[in-house]
Amino acid sequence: MDFTLDDEQRALQSAVREMAGRLVRQATSGDVAVGPQPVDREVWSSLAEMGLLGLPFGEDAGGMGASAVEVVLASSELGAARLQAPYADALAAAAMVADAESAPDGLLEQIVEGSQLVFTALAEPGRAWDPEHPETTAVEQDGTWRVTGRKLGTTALSEVDAVVTTAFCCETACVFLVRQPAVKDGVIELDGAEAIRLGGPELLQAGLSLGIVALAGEALGCMGAALTMTTDYLKTRKQFGVPLATFQTLTQRAADMYVSVELARSTALFAAMAISENATDGATASRAKALLGRTGRHVGQEAIQLHGGIGMTAEYAVGHYTSRLTAIEHTFGDSRYHLGLLARGLADHEMVDVLV
Amino acid sequence: MQHRLSAEDRAFQQEMRDFFTNRIPDEARTWHKDGEVDPEALRIAQRAMHDAGLAVPHWPVEWGGKDWTELQRHIWRTEMQATGTPPPLAFNTNMIGPVIATFGSQEQKERFLPPTASLDIWWCQGFSEPDAGSDLASLRTTAVRDGDEYVVNGQKTWTTLGQFADWIFALVRTDPNAPKKQMGISMLLIKMDSPGVTLRPIKLIDGGHEVNEVFFDNVRVPADQLVGEENKGWDYAKFLLGNERVGVAPVGSIKRKLADAKAFAAQTKTAAGTLLDDPLLAARIAELETELMALEVTVMRVAGSSHDGKPDPASSILKLRGSQLQQDVLELITDIAGPASLQWQPIDGVGEWAAESVPTYLNFRKASIYGGSNEVQRSVISGGILGLKG
Ligand SMILES: Cc1cc2nc3c(=O)[nH]c(=O)nc-3n(C[C@H](O)[C@H](O)[C@H](O)COP(=O)(O)OP(=O)(O)OC[C@H]3O[C@@H](n4cnc5c(N)ncnc54)[C@H](O)[C@@H]3O)c2cc1C
Repeated sequence: MDFTLDDEQRALQSAVREMAGRLVRQATSGDVAVGPQPVDREVWSSLAEMGLLGLPFGEDAGGMGASAVEVVLASSELGAARLQAPYADALAAAAMVADAESAPDGLLEQIVEGSQLVFTALAEPGRAWDPEHPETTAVEQDGTWRVTGRKLGTTALSEVDAVVTTAFCCETACVFLVRQPAVKDGVIELDGAEAIRLGGPELLQAGLSLGIVALAGEALGCMGAALTMTTDYLKTRKQFGVPLATFQTLTQRAADMYVSVELARSTALFAAMAISENATDGATASRAKALLGRTGRHVGQEAIQLHGGIGMTAEYAVGHYTSRLTAIEHTFGDSRYHLGLLARGLADHEMVDVLV
Repeated sequence: MQHRLSAEDRAFQQEMRDFFTNRIPDEARTWHKDGEVDPEALRIAQRAMHDAGLAVPHWPVEWGGKDWTELQRHIWRTEMQATGTPPPLAFNTNMIGPVIATFGSQEQKERFLPPTASLDIWWCQGFSEPDAGSDLASLRTTAVRDGDEYVVNGQKTWTTLGQFADWIFALVRTDPNAPKKQMGISMLLIKMDSPGVTLRPIKLIDGGHEVNEVFFDNVRVPADQLVGEENKGWDYAKFLLGNERVGVAPVGSIKRKLADAKAFAAQTKTAAGTLLDDPLLAARIAELETELMALEVTVMRVAGSSHDGKPDPASSILKLRGSQLQQDVLELITDIAGPASLQWQPIDGVGEWAAESVPTYLNFRKASIYGGSNEVQRSVISGGILGLKG
């Protein structure tokens, strides 16, 4: 096992950092954006131009043929720059298109070049996250699949060209592609919508694994940046005539934040390597998601607390990171959901074995 | 010692429950709209309480107080919060009211206490400054005596709900040469519409506007608006902050939110029933209910042992755990909302609570920062109770 980055990976990192830095300056000029943002077309085409939308896909589809590790490196830079884009979601959707039994010709290429926006729609209103047990159903009639149910998706839904969704058929959860879905008040209404069947539960797991790894990278970027801001602040902010860094109770907590970030970093990179090799390694994906969820919460909450009042303001980035970390935790299953999955699988192994 | 309510206290509890359930107009209960406080709702609720003689039970009887026991006050507060009634404005009834009642001149009491109790005057708190947060005593806003007036210059920040306020109670420096920085500070009562006062809104991470910066540019304040004695402001501020902490464990609100959380979980379907059946989630709720019990009985124990209006240092426990539990319950609600929490807009078929869950969770990170941060509370406990300095 080796966590060292090679020259190419470092070059990717700095290229994405440069691009994200340039884009975010535009995005944050003027009024301060608070909360989830709609997809920004300029950001999206920049991601496409850099090849980030096709990072882990084959060169025959216009992709870069890289691994999930590169995805983590790229998404980490997007997170650190506070570039809110449904990148992880798009990669999850694209992965399911890429590995589909049959997908529309040329769709993956169009996703990769940024001309088609395809996101996932896996959650259902009024139901806890559980894409493997959808209430949505699918039936086949004269060779055409039709899907019926209601779904939630990203905030970018109004712009979406197609969604990758799940529906119950063949006694299991299957993955479908629905083009131009009807969106009403933030909910996708599938009322016998024509669909293409992409695959079964394994395809779903593979897509989610990649999405989780991309989210883990973004969370790492947010956490790392929030930690840096916090340590800088402790050194400069003075109260009682001394820098806050004089108070051991604060510096020790900054140290705990660092511990969280570094454990998360190893976990995210390890998960990326494992998933590059075996995309259906659900246990690793779940462990990574549960750990990232918890550490994200720890680091985000402490970053605000150690800043005091200034950390609460919309003008100051620490709160944006915490807000984004909260959203990341609730995407593709939170810590409770993934721990639940892991708990159900405990009897399958004696010792937890990672280095196989 | 006795762990049950007496028949008398139970009757009192029922009386409070009936009052807050039936006599508070419903429009007052939705006092948070789109993440903002609705000032009219607060006015309606406080007026209704005031008309029934229930707005300021902890004040001296002469000024509308009710010689109640600590237990009765706790029951009053908890029943109020449990019905979603907005509590009487803390700046008025927990902070400046008791200060004026204790340290103010007779003329100030007559002038300010009745409208403060009824919310005909809306007060805000002007203590913090950009460089004086936890270290409040280093504040720099000055007041210079000029005949019958003080001339005030400087800046306050984090002024909660200052946009609705008629008056601000401010700490100002009246003697820059005092030997210690805690000395030479005075408390002034200043009209918000005085010439030279300006307000700038600060937007918080939930997108809402509840705090402000307040600037004083040669503001002339009549000298009879000085509270108590000149240069004694620090004593009044300590008295006020002690009261703030005691009232601050929002047991009733946490109970209400936790009950709501259970209802939300029971509405959220899973493949095997509802989220309330999920063992991990259920265990977390059970744990929070247990911790809430510990907090509530500690509130009773601490409240029951505080004397002469002097706050028990153990009241720091209430601020510390009250804010943490409040934050834990709001965090739980975001988890129950799960994927529906990702959009801050109400979604068809999902309760509004889900859309509000994350902004509310983020907003309440403030609870462990203001009113003496949790780190400051721990210092009070370690220094004041355990005798550990440094
Ligand atoms: C939403 C909100 C509303 C508010 N409303 C009001 C209001 O209406 N009126 C008003 O006057 N003020 C108000 N405040 C201000 C509040 O009281 C201050 O934010 C608080 O005192 C902390 O000060 P600070 O923000 O300057 O943080 P700092 O004092 O700079 O603290 C930053 C961090 O360092 C820690 N720290 C500081 N000193 C020590 C120490 N000695 N030992 C250990 N840790 C330490 C703090 O706990 C915190 O974690 C409000 C604040 C917020 C966020």
